[in-house]
Amino acid sequence: MQNSTLLLLITAPLFGACASFPAPTQRLADAQSAERSAREVGANNAPAAQLSLKLAQDQIGQAQKAMVNGDNEKADSLLIRAKMDGELALAQAREKTASGDRQEAAADSADQKTVNAVQGAVK
Amino acid sequence: MRIQRYITILGLAALGLGACAASLPPQDLVNARSAYNRASNDGATAKTDPSDLDSAKKQLDVAETSFRDNGDTQGTRDQSYLALRRTEYAEVIARTRTTDAATGATVDAMHADEKKTVAGTAAALARSKTEIASQDNAIASQKVALKDEKGRREEAEKRAAQAMADLAKFASVKQEPRGMVITLSGSVLFASAKSDLLPAAQLKLNEVADALIKEDPLSKIVVEGHTDSQGAVPYNQDLSQRRAQAVRDYLVSRGIASDRVTSQGFGSSRSVADNKSAEGRADNRRVEIVVQPSTTGQ
Repeated sequence: MQNSTLLLLITAPLFGACASFPAPTQRLADAQSAERSAREVGANNAPAAQLSLKLAQDQIGQAQKAMVNGDNEKADSLLIRAKMDGELALAQAREKTASGDRQEAAADSADQKTVNAVQGAVK
Repeated sequence: MRIQRYITILGLAALGLGACAASLPPQDLVNARSAYNRASNDGATAKTDPSDLDSAKKQLDVAETSFRDNGDTQGTRDQSYLALRRTEYAEVIARTRTTDAATGATVDAMHADEKKTVAGTAAALARSKTEIASQDNAIASQKVALKDEKGRREEAEKRAAQAMADLAKFASVKQEPRGMVITLSGSVLFASAKSDLLPAAQLKLNEVADALIKEDPLSKIVVEGHTDSQGAVPYNQDLSQRRAQAVRDYLVSRGIASDRVTSQGFGSSRSVADNKSAEGRADNRRVEIVVQPSTTGQ
């Protein structure tokens, strides 16, 4: 009897980790927030960001199903990834915007030089 | 029997632990390591976004520790995935910052160029304003000068008109094609058969000289001497010449420029009245001062 108790004490931590995992509601909210932010800055229109956004959205969907099925641990794992993918999509969308701004500034600079040359700007 | 049970229990425990310990790293960890090596070897990312790259390194360390301690578990794969994404995030942020810096430099250059252009234009405008103001001043000065000149001319014309009016009291003044002709009676200027001016004549010639001085300074003046037909022609010619010369010399002595005035005697060749009557002969004895206007129309 004493030996059986010792065995349970040794093996319980190995198998008990999967039991009664709390619902990752905060992680879900964080992941959804990151995904929404990415969409708001135009991740849908940036090729590099589209993939990251899609991953975030898919993982959020899978996590929600897992939570419904009571597999909160799997949901937690998915949401950790989804949040990071959302943040990456946001950064990639901003990178595209920055690139567009750069091209616009270069075009404006060229226009300015042309206009100054045509109008004979005094310097 | 007891020993056999312990062996069985330990075997089951070893089996449970062994499931967590994988000999090969999961693909997520391999990818994370590769991505981090790429980013850390890229000087631009390390220089531009060291903070996020450091976060990626810490996340990779967490994944490595998880793999070392637990093996290829879901937790290890999750931490590896996060390390991969965080590294990519650092690269994106670094590239974005580099792009933003280039954009900022371009915009700053544009602003500097625009500022320079505006300053140049403002300076040119200021110069133009100064030039315009200078020209306005010159025009105003010219207007004043013109007004003054007009006033002086009107005053001179007024004085000349008045002088002519004064002349008309004792001499005939007429406008003819050859110019303005001032006719003085010979009896007023000279004694009979003489060419010396009478004292009274000098007073009248003073007024004539004053009037001529006020006239166009470029005009030419011819003093013509005329006699009646009595007496010999050569005598009359000589007398008329001497009288014309006497009047000419007197006018010069009164300030008329000598190069403006000439004299000429015509004797009785240009009578203006009948020499048969005393009255006609008196009219023919005369001195005519002809003022020829200058060709410039002054």
